[in-house]
Amino acid sequence: MQTLWNEWRAIWSARSLVWVLVQREVAARHAGTAVGVLWPYLQPLLTVAAYYLVFDVVFSMRLGEGAPTHAVGTFLVVGALPWMAFCDAVSRGMNSLIEAGSMLQKNPLPPVLFTTRSVLASAVIFGPLLCLVALAYTPLHGFRPAMLALLPLMALQLVLCVLLGYLLAILAAALRDTVQIVGFLLSVGIYLTPILFPLTMFPANWRWVLWLNPMTALVIGYQQVLLQGNWPPVSVWVVGAVWLVVLALALNILVKRSRDQLVDWL
Amino acid sequence: MTKIQRTSEIVLKVKDVGKEYRLYASPRQRLKSLITGRSTHRSHWALHGVSFELQRGQCIGVIGDNGAGKSSLLKLLAGTLQPSTGSIERVGRVTAILELGAGFHPDFSGRDNLYFGGSLIGIEREEMQRLEPEIIEFCELGEALDRPVKTYSSGMSVRLAFALVTAVQPDVLIIDEALAVGDQHFQKKCVDRIMAFRNAGCTILFCSHSPYHIRHLCDLALWLDGGRVKQFGLTEPVLGAYDVHSRLRNAESMQAAGGQDGASDAPAPDNGAPLDGDDALAATNGSDAASAGRRQRNGNVPARDDGSARILSVDIGNLGEPQDGSYGRLSGKDLVATIVVRGRGGERPNVGFMIEQSKGVGITSLATHEEGAAPMPLGDGLWRSVLTFPNLPLHSGDYVISAFLFDESGLVVYDEWFQFLNFNWVSPTLMPGLVKLPHHWG
Repeated sequence: MQTLWNEWRAIWSARSLVWVLVQREVAARHAGTAVGVLWPYLQPLLTVAAYYLVFDVVFSMRLGEGAPTHAVGTFLVVGALPWMAFCDAVSRGMNSLIEAGSMLQKNPLPPVLFTTRSVLASAVIFGPLLCLVALAYTPLHGFRPAMLALLPLMALQLVLCVLLGYLLAILAAALRDTVQIVGFLLSVGIYLTPILFPLTMFPANWRWVLWLNPMTALVIGYQQVLLQGNWPPVSVWVVGAVWLVVLALALNILVKRSRDQLVDWL
Repeated sequence: MTKIQRTSEIVLKVKDVGKEYRLYASPRQRLKSLITGRSTHRSHWALHGVSFELQRGQCIGVIGDNGAGKSSLLKLLAGTLQPSTGSIERVGRVTAILELGAGFHPDFSGRDNLYFGGSLIGIEREEMQRLEPEIIEFCELGEALDRPVKTYSSGMSVRLAFALVTAVQPDVLIIDEALAVGDQHFQKKCVDRIMAFRNAGCTILFCSHSPYHIRHLCDLALWLDGGRVKQFGLTEPVLGAYDVHSRLRNAESMQAAGGQDGASDAPAPDNGAPLDGDDALAATNGSDAASAGRRQRNGNVPARDDGSARILSVDIGNLGEPQDGSYGRLSGKDLVATIVVRGRGGERPNVGFMIEQSKGVGITSLATHEEGAAPMPLGDGLWRSVLTFPNLPLHSGDYVISAFLFDESGLVVYDEWFQFLNFNWVSPTLMPGLVKLPHHWG
C-alpha cells in the first residue's frame, strides 16, 4: 500500500492546486452560458423533480409489500440521485487522465491530481443536492439522529469514486475500449441496483448479482436514512468497506505497474 | 541586474539516468500486461547511462541527431517523464520552455488562464497578483488579456505563455528550440530575457539544432548519440567532433541514395545543406522577415513591407549574367559583396555571410559581430557592410552564397537569404583543390 500512500501524499501536498483545478473544472462546464454556475445543479435537480412529478403526482404509482415507502417516485429519487452522482464521478474520473494528457505531458504534475479533480468537481455538484433532498425528506420521519449517517455514507461514496475512477482511468489510458465498456455498464447498472425496486422485490436467487455493484450497499444505506430515518444496517458498512479494500489493493498494483509509463500512454 | 558570483554549487545532478519506453504490439497487450503483471513488451532505451553535473550559472547545449534522446532528456529534467533507472537531483526552481501555450482553456480570458497556468507551475494567487503587471507589460497583450484565449492569434498565446513561464527567475532553465517565438520584436525580447537570466546566475540547458546558437550561448556541450553521452565538454571541441560526425553521416546517406536510384544529384537528406554544421545558421523559424527575404531573392518585391529588420540587397561586384545552364561568372580577382540591411530601431545590426560549394561542402561563414566589425550606418535605419575577399582564394568551381542579418548580440536571426545566389569562378591557378590556404615556402 506504500504506492497508494504516496499518491495520497501527492494529493495532500498539492491540495491548493487541486482546489484551483476543481473550481476551474466546474467553471469550464458552464463557460459561456447565461445561467452560469446553476446549470450543473439544475440538470440533476430537474431530472429528480421529473421523477417525482411523473410517478407520484401524475400516475400515483405504488410499491408493493416490504418496501420502505409506497410512493414509487419518492423511493426512486433517493436511489437515483446517488446513482447519478456515482455515474458522473466515475465516468469523469475515468476520462480525467486522457483529457489531461497534454497538460500532463508538459507539466511535471502527478496524474492522480487530475482524477481527484474530476471526482471532486462532481462531488461539489451532487453533495449539496443530496443534502437538499435529505432535507426535503425530513417530513417522512421527522428529524432523527440517524440523519447523521448521511455524512459517512457520502464520504464512503466519494472515496469509492476516487478509487474506482483512478483505476478505470489507468485502464482507459492503457486501452481506450475501457471507456466504451464502462459507459455501457453504467447505463445498465441502474437495473442492477435497488433503485427502481427494493432489494426484496428482486428474485432471491439473483440477488447476489446486485452485490457485485459497488453502489448497492450505499443505495440501501441512503434509503434507510432518508426514507425511514433509521441507521443503515451493518451489512452496508461491511460491504462498503470490502469494496474499498478490494479497489485499493487493485489500484495499488495498477499504479505500481503503470507509474513510469502512464503519461506516455495518454 | 547585478551579477551573482558564480559559485561551484551544483544545481543539477544527473546520475546514470536511463529511460525505457515499453513498446507493446497493441494497446490490448498493454492492458494485458498491466493486469497480469507479465511483460510482453519490447524495450526501447531512449537514454542509457547518462550522467553529468551542472553548476550554477553554467550554460549547456544539447546536440545530437534526430532520435538521439534529446527530447527525452529534456522531459526527464523538466520532470514530466520519470527516469527508468538512475536519479536526477535538482536544486531550486526548474522552468522548462518546451511547448508553449499548451493547457490554456480557450473559453477563459487570458488573465484567467494566466492565474490558472501560474498555479500549475507553482505560482500562488498572491504571488501572481504581484507578478501580473510585469507579465502584462512583457506580453504586450493590453486589453486583449480580458478576451477569451480562443480569440487570440497563435503568436498572442505564445507571448502570454512565454511571459508566464519566465515570470519568475528560475534556477535551471530548460529550453527546447524555443529561442525564436512570435514576431521579430518579441523574439528579441525573449532572447534578452533569457540572457538576463543567464547573467543573473541561472543555469541554462539548451537543446537546439543550431550549432550557431549553441556556440554563442553555451559554455559546455553535451552530444547525445543513440541515447548515450558521446561527448561532454567545452563547446567548441564537442561541436567540432559533431560537425565531422554529421558530415560523414550525410555523405553516407547521400551515397546510399545515389546507389539506390543511380541519380547523380541525389536529393539532399533531411538537413543536408552542404555546410551541414552551420546549416542551422538559417534556423530563424520562418519569421515574416525571413520569408520576405526569400521572396525577394527571386527578384520579386515583397508583397508587404512591415518595416521590420531585413536584408534589402546583396550585390556581388563583377558578376556576369547567368548563361543558359551555367551560373554567372565572377570576373576580376576579388569577391566583393555589398550588403545593405535595415536594422531595428536604433540598434546596430550584424551581418553574416557564408560561402559553400554549390553541390558540396561549406567553405566559410563570417559575421561582423564575430570579428569586431560593424556595418556602416547610412541613416534612416539603413546599414551597409562591404565584405571583400581579396584575390579570392578559391579553386575553380561553382559556389553558392548566403547572407544573414543578426541583432546586436548575434543571437536573433532577423533575416536570411539562404543560398540565394550561385556563381562560377575560374581560378588563375591550375592546381586541383578547394581553397588556397595562406602559406609560405621555406
